[in-house]
Amino acid sequence: MSTDPLDRPWRLWASVAILSVFVFSVLFGFVLLPIIQGRGAGLDAFESICRALGLRPGSPAAPQPASEAKAQPTTRVAWSAELMQALDRPSAIGAQLAAACTACHGKDGRSVDPKLYPDLAGQSAVALYKQLNDFKSGSRLSAVMAPLAQPLSEEQIVAVSAHFAAFPVRSLPPAQMPAPSEAIERLVARGDPTRAIAACNACHGEQSGGPPEAPRLTHQGAQYLSAQLRAFKSGERRNDIYSRMRNVAAVLSDSEIEGLAGFYSTTFTY
Amino acid sequence: MTHARRLALAHFWIGFIAFAIALVLGVWQMWVRSPLPAPFLTASTYFSSVTAHGTAMAYVLTTFTVMGFGYYVAETALARALPAPRWAWTGFWLALAGTLMAVVTIFSGRAAVLFTFYPPLIASVFYYIGLVLVVAGSWIWCVLMIVAMGQWKGANPGRPVPLAMFATVANAVMWLWTTVGVTLELLFQVIPAALGLKAQIDVGLSRTLFSWTLHAVVYFWLIPSYIAFYTMVPQAAGGRLYSDTMGRLTFVLFLIYSLPVGLHHLLMDPHQSNAFKFLQVALTALVSVPTLLTVFTIGASLEIAGRLRGGRGLFGWIGALPWERPLVLATGLAFLMLAFGGFGGLVNMSYGMNAMVHNTSWVTAHFHLIFGGTVVIMYFAIAYTLWPSLTGRAAPSLAAQRLQLWLWFIGMLVMTLPWHYLGLLGQWRRVATFNYADPIIAAWGPWVIVSLVGGLILLVSGLLFVRNLLQFAIGRASHVPAEVYATAVHPPLRVPAALNGFRLWNVLVLVLMLLAYGYPLAQFFIIDPPGALVHRVDQRR
Ligand code: HEC
Ligand code: HEC
Ligand SMILES: [Cu+2]
Repeated sequence: MSTDPLDRPWRLWASVAILSVFVFSVLFGFVLLPIIQGRGAGLDAFESICRALGLRPGSPAAPQPASEAKAQPTTRVAWSAELMQALDRPSAIGAQLAAACTACHGKDGRSVDPKLYPDLAGQSAVALYKQLNDFKSGSRLSAVMAPLAQPLSEEQIVAVSAHFAAFPVRSLPPAQMPAPSEAIERLVARGDPTRAIAACNACHGEQSGGPPEAPRLTHQGAQYLSAQLRAFKSGERRNDIYSRMRNVAAVLSDSEIEGLAGFYSTTFTY
Repeated sequence: MTHARRLALAHFWIGFIAFAIALVLGVWQMWVRSPLPAPFLTASTYFSSVTAHGTAMAYVLTTFTVMGFGYYVAETALARALPAPRWAWTGFWLALAGTLMAVVTIFSGRAAVLFTFYPPLIASVFYYIGLVLVVAGSWIWCVLMIVAMGQWKGANPGRPVPLAMFATVANAVMWLWTTVGVTLELLFQVIPAALGLKAQIDVGLSRTLFSWTLHAVVYFWLIPSYIAFYTMVPQAAGGRLYSDTMGRLTFVLFLIYSLPVGLHHLLMDPHQSNAFKFLQVALTALVSVPTLLTVFTIGASLEIAGRLRGGRGLFGWIGALPWERPLVLATGLAFLMLAFGGFGGLVNMSYGMNAMVHNTSWVTAHFHLIFGGTVVIMYFAIAYTLWPSLTGRAAPSLAAQRLQLWLWFIGMLVMTLPWHYLGLLGQWRRVATFNYADPIIAAWGPWVIVSLVGGLILLVSGLLFVRNLLQFAIGRASHVPAEVYATAVHPPLRVPAALNGFRLWNVLVLVLMLLAYGYPLAQFFIIDPPGALVHRVDQRR
């Protein structure tokens, strides 16, 4: 259809115009700029062009900073897709290992004495895995749990976590649920911006987008919860990545800690 | 009423209803961010609300308005019946079903990922499927627009396609190119993750694919406004279009330079290299060409109108323009907002300055000004211009329309100028609440409240807009449809094939996309970086 001689120059000149702008930008951005920037950073032309193109790591405008710092990690847990999938699959090995735990955490993961031992039933497997791993590595200190966790291998930790996570939570009689105070409800649902406290449920809620290792709190014994919050507050417990819980607990008052522990020790869910 | 008119009305109404709801949410969000105590605030309501607001404004209002306007143009500018109206209705129902699916998912609290998705956050799959249906509906529209133009050319060999239709098809072609990026992201990364088929997601790849869509989608929203500038405004002002060729060039340049430029949205992202960022920023700068062409051509067209109406001297023609006509008024206000917004855009696309405003309120303020301001005020004006011919009735009150447009303009400036300033002070975006007990943040408080007042003015204006459209029901019947399209000073008798179709430009877009996005996308398959763990927001592990 476009045999008209009037159309040919269009095709030619439009292509020439557009491609020459392109070529100019490439010469400038891929060659000239990196060479000039690299000179200032003491890089040779080849290295800086490779860096500009992303073929080698680093910036073409700065020498790679050498880091000598040795970080002490908060935890030695590293998440991977395979690990997450394994935590979704309860196994027979898990059931065997669990025999060593029932004396305190109960046969079905429901603690024999919620005042002393946390429930494991219905807890997220990811959270259980992280805590066991931390007891083992010494990131979380506990005279009771450390010797129990240390002999466990990686696979055994996965198996026993998946095992307890699969049990349903303890059923609580509704009579045990006092109406929470408005201030506590606000902390749970909205946090307190004036103290930089994010809503607890932003991380602990049923549909929260929070960190994967954030444990489920509801149905847990109030004494255990308040003990943990106090431990975070004093810094005695320090295995939370980025100090997420230490930052929160540090600015909670003692009565708020009691109130929050009481709130979550019920069946309230959000 | 013809099919196209009924289609146009149906599309416009869905868009405007979504708009009105989203407006209420927007004001509430502003309120939440202010120091004043706001109701209904929880960690999740805020982000669900932002997701709903963004989805409704950016996907529903725009897509339905563009489609409705396109059907109207295809019938009136080409002066022939729409091809395959049944397909057009299929597209409408698909997009509507998708909208409802997405909205229900958001309001059930299962999709608080914000409208640009942000993997590895993963929402309920119904949210994404809803959006895919909206896009599928719009693809039907694209094909119908291309077919309508093709049929017209077949029936009118050698004649230039009317500019309004040429521009509409430019937008359709661009939209087909645009949606490829986000569709690949959704189909191959996000939806499999939402279905639980994938546990990891390569965030670098998904951000790069989304960037492919992210700049051009804005031009998809903007082009109806430009169509109005070129083809309707000169007529409304009582003049003529200064140059039809400039119009064609402008739309062609938008098609070319809105696509290979998306990396300018990733300037602070580590997974793309400096050189490719530079290349795409250089190509971005070329968007100034069609923008300046437009400012010049529309300025000249308005000057013709002003002088025909007796304006004298260097600037006298400006005062002589018929500012009492809503479309002319909206154009003036839109250009003012475009000037402010364009300046902000220059800041965003400059690497060094971008580093300062990145992730601050500056960016949110910028896109509200340019999209909510320039684009949406023209949507209002387009609706006011088309409604008499769509409903067969005259507007009962032009004064109410003018008031609405002024309120929108004032509200937008009152809201966005302090918001820009807050961004420069360092206020974060995507944050629900601030610690106003901190003395530095406390100083932001008054400006956030001013912004909130701007938002309230916008709410009043938006509701007045809906009322003004409803008021047509009581307007007197007008059976003489007014001519809406402008003629050019030199109406084209023959244009080169290059400016009468898109074959050449599609080839050039393909070449530029391969060069600008080829390696930036290919690197993810060559290097094969580790993925991020999928992070569901609709259920807990
Ligand atoms: C002697 C009693 C006892 C036995 C046996 C025991 N635990 Fe514990 N467990 C505790 C106590 C006490 C704590 C709370 C530690 C603290 O306060 O820091 C605890 C905490 C935990 C936690 C952390 C829970 C949370 O919500 O943070 C996990 C996980 C756990 N135990 C798993 C196990 C497993 C698995 C076994 C079996 C291999 C086991 N425990 C055996 C007493 C016991
Ligand atoms: C930013 C996310 C976040 C917020 C907000 C948050 N938490 Fe946590 N919380 C965590 C994470 C993550 C852990 C697990 C820490 C670790 O890795 O050991 C945790 C652990 C806890 C534990 C210990 C539970 C156990 O079984 O050992 C308690 C109790 C707790 N949080 C209570 C609260 C309360 C009450 C609030 C609100 C005042 C709150 N959290 C707010 C993330 C959060
Ligand atoms: Cu852009």
